[in-house]
Amino acid sequence: MDLQSGPHGEYGRFEQILSQFLLKSLHIVLDSRVPSIRPRSGRGRLLSGAQSKKNDKWFSLALGDRPSALENLNFWHRNLMEPMVIDIILVQETQSDQDMYVSSGLGTVVETLIERWVVQCESGSPMGFHGDSSASHKKTYKKLIILLRSLYSTMRLLPAHRAFRKLCLSSKGCDFDIIYKVSSFSAPFSRAEEETMKQYGFVPVDAPQGRLSISVTYRESLSDFNLETSASFPPQIITDYVGSPATDPLRAFPSTDKGFCATSVPSRGMQSPSSIPFQRPHSWTGGLHRGAPLGRTLPLGGSPPAYPSSFGQYEAASSPSDNYRFQNNRHSNHHKATSFDDYQLSPPFSPSPSPSPSPSPPTYLSSGNPVQNCTRGESSPVSIPHPMLGRSPRYLSPNLSDPNRNSLPPLSPRSLKHDPSYQDSPSGIRSGRRSDLTRTGDPSPGITNYYFGQKVSRDSKDDSGRFSGLLSSSGSPRVGLSRSSSRFSFQDDLDDSDFSCPFIVDDVDTPETQARQNVDGNKASEFTSQTFGVGRKSQDAAVGALVHMLRTAPPLRQDSSCFSSRSLNPGLEGDAGTASGFFLPRKTSDALEELRVYKEVKDLLLSKSGARFVSKEDTTG
Amino acid sequence: DVEHFEIREVLRCILHTILFHRALGLVRPKDIDLELFEITYVQCGDTELEKKIDEKIEQFIDRVEKHPNKKNQICLSFYEVKNKQPSWFTNKVERLHWEQWNINLNVAQHPKTHSGKSHHSKVLVDPGDNALEERSIRRAALETSLREVLFQIIKFVNEKKDHVPPIPNLEGVSFPYEITISSSSDSAFGMDMFKRMLQTGHPTMLS
Repeated sequence: MDLQSGPHGEYGRFEQILSQFLLKSLHIVLDSRVPSIRPRSGRGRLLSGAQSKKNDKWFSLALGDRPSALENLNFWHRNLMEPMVIDIILVQETQSDQDMYVSSGLGTVVETLIERWVVQCESGSPMGFHGDSSASHKKTYKKLIILLRSLYSTMRLLPAHRAFRKLCLSSKGCDFDIIYKVSSFSAPFSRAEEETMKQYGFVPVDAPQGRLSISVTYRESLSDFNLETSASFPPQIITDYVGSPATDPLRAFPSTDKGFCATSVPSRGMQSPSSIPFQRPHSWTGGLHRGAPLGRTLPLGGSPPAYPSSFGQYEAASSPSDNYRFQNNRHSNHHKATSFDDYQLSPPFSPSPSPSPSPSPPTYLSSGNPVQNCTRGESSPVSIPHPMLGRSPRYLSPNLSDPNRNSLPPLSPRSLKHDPSYQDSPSGIRSGRRSDLTRTGDPSPGITNYYFGQKVSRDSKDDSGRFSGLLSSSGSPRVGLSRSSSRFSFQDDLDDSDFSCPFIVDDVDTPETQARQNVDGNKASEFTSQTFGVGRKSQDAAVGALVHMLRTAPPLRQDSSCFSSRSLNPGLEGDAGTASGFFLPRKTSDALEELRVYKEVKDLLLSKSGARFVSKEDTTG
Repeated sequence: DVEHFEIREVLRCILHTILFHRALGLVRPKDIDLELFEITYVQCGDTELEKKIDEKIEQFIDRVEKHPNKKNQICLSFYEVKNKQPSWFTNKVERLHWEQWNINLNVAQHPKTHSGKSHHSKVLVDPGDNALEERSIRRAALETSLREVLFQIIKFVNEKKDHVPPIPNLEGVSFPYEITISSSSDSAFGMDMFKRMLQTGHPTMLS
C-alpha cells in the first residue's frame, strides 16, 4: 500500500482502498453468481503474475484470478463515489408463444432480475474524523475485511445461490442462465417486483471520507422459475442402505433423492477403476464427497448391460435411478420419475467434464464445490446411518466402496488387475509381504499392491477354496502381513469390508487373520508364490475350485477355525504341516489333497510365469 | 432441537462461520455444503483450524452422550494475550476476552427406542411414516433456524466491529481463540462463568 502523508496522500490511499473494495465486492458477487465469469483455467485459484497475486491479497480474501470483466471496470468507473449496481439476472428460455420478450430461435427468453447489489460510498462527514489517519485507515480496512467476509457468506445463504450451483453443475443441461449487469444507476423496480423482493443491508463502514455500504434486494423465492433444483425434496435417511452385497450388486448404490445429481459426476468420464485405490486416502478430508463419486464409477462401468436406455451417457445415470426405486420404498416414485425425467429432458453430457469448473476429472473433484453439491446427497445416506456409531467419517468410505467392489464381476477384473500388478512390480509386492512391519515403496504403489494383494488373498480363499487350514493359512499370513505392514487405518477397514465378498462371507477368516498378525516372514513368502499362482488361474479352474470349495466348505469351516488357531503356533515355529495330534488324522488327507491341487496350480503357473517362482518352489518343495 | 447426528454438521457450520468472520488474516475461503441441509457455509480453508474444530466437536458429542439430560453449551471466545505483571491469582500472561459466542444446543432425546437407549442412533431405524414426517418437519425447521442463526451471526459480526482489536497475525486465523464446552450442571457451570468473569473483565456476551 502507498504510504503517503498529507491530505492528498491520505485521500489517495482511501481512494485506493475504495476502488479495491469495489473491485473485490464485484469479484465476490460475480464469482458467486455467474459461472461463466470464471476463468477457463480451473477454479480461478491459479494466479497469473505478481500483480494479480498482490491484488488477491486485498482484504485478506484470496479469491483467485479476477475475471477479465473486472479489469474493464477500471476504465469506465471513474467516479468512485457513484454507486455500483450489480444486477443478477436469470435468463430462461420458455416455450411461450407470447411476443412480449426478446425471442430467440428456440423460444422466448425471459429475463428476470433476481438480485440487485448496490455497493457505494456515500460521501460522509469529512469534518467528523480527526486524529491519526493511518490508524483510522487500518480500522477502516479491518472493518471492510469483515464486511467482505459477511458478503461472501451471505452470498451463499441467499436463495439465488442454489440456482448458481445448479448452473455450475450442469452447465450444458440447464434451461436457464445467469447473467449480470453492472451500472452506476439502478432502474427502479416495478410494483410487482417490489412485492417479491426483500431487502438486506449490511452494516455500513464509516470512514473519514465517507460511508461504505453494501445492500441487496433479492427475490425471496425462486420456485416460480421451475429450476432444476432438488430443494423441494428433503434428504431422507436410508437406513437399509448397505444391503447384502451378495444379493444384487447394483443394489449397492445408496439411494438418495439427489441421485440424479450424483450420476452426473461419473458420466463426465471419470471411469477409471484404478484410480480408486489411489484416491481413497484423499477421500477423508472434507471428501466424503470425493470418495462417493469415485466409488460409483466401478459399478457404473460394470452395469450397462442390465439396463436398456435410449440415451448414451444416461445409461449409467438411469441404472441407479431404477435401483433407487427398487431399493428404497420410502422415496416417492414420483420423485424418482421426476429425476429420471429431468435427465431425459436435458441433453446428454459429453464425456469431458464441463470446462468451467475444471478441465480434468481429478481436478474437478478436488475443486470441491460442484462435486460437493451433487455428492452432498450421495454422501448423506452414507453418513446418516453411521454417525451415531461414534465413528469418524473415515470409516464410511470403505462401506461405500465395499459394495461397489463387490459389484464387480467376480474374477475377470481382479485377474486383469493382478496381471499388471504382477508384471509391474511383483518384487515390490513380495518384498511387501516379507517384511513384517515395514512398508516398501511409496504409499501409492504400496496401497495399490496392498489392495491387489487383498484381492489375491480373497481369490485364494474363494477360488481355490478353503480346502483346509493349509490354504487359509497360506492366504491369511500374507493378509496378516499386509495388515501389519499397513500404516493406514482405513485399510484395516478395507480388510473388514473386503471379507464380505460376493462368494461367501468367511467369518472365520477374520479372526484367523487377526490371529496371524505375527506370522513369520519366511512362512509368508513360501505361500506367496502359491497364492499368486492361485490368482492367476484361468476362470475355468477357478470355477472348478469354487465348486470344490462349496462342496468341501461346511465341515472344513469348523475344522479350519480350529486348525488355524492351532496352526498359528506351529506356523510360528516354522512348520505348518504338524498340527496338534488331535487334528492330525483328519487333516492329513485333506492336506494332501490340497497339496496336490496346489502342485497342479503351481505347475500351471510355472508354465506361465517362468523362472521367477522357481526358487520359491524349491524351498517349498 | 437438534438430533444427535446433526450435531456435528450444525456445530461445524456455526463455528466455522464465526471464525471465518473473525479470521482476518489472509484466507482462501472454502465453501462447504452441509450434507443434511441445503445450506452452504464458508470455511477459512485452514486445515489446522478444521482439525481443531472437529476435535472440539467430538468432545462436545462425547459430553452430550455422557450427560444426555443436561443442556450443553459450546463456547467460542476470542481473546487478546496481554502480558501483565504477575498478580496474586494470574500468571504473567493474561487473556483478555473481547468476544464470546455461546452456542446452546438442545439435543433431542427420544423416549421410545428399539434398543432402549435414550440417545443411541438406532432410534432412527424405521420408526414409521409418521415419525418420518415429523422428522422432516423438524429438519426443515432446524434448517430454517440454522439459516437464521447464520444470518444473525453475520449481523452481529457486522454490528460490533469496534471492539475488534488490531490484527496481530496476518495469516489465517488472526486472533487467538479458545473453544470450551460446558454443561449446565448448576454448580460447575456457574463456577465456569464466574471464573471467566474474573479472568476476563468485561467480555462482550453475544449468544
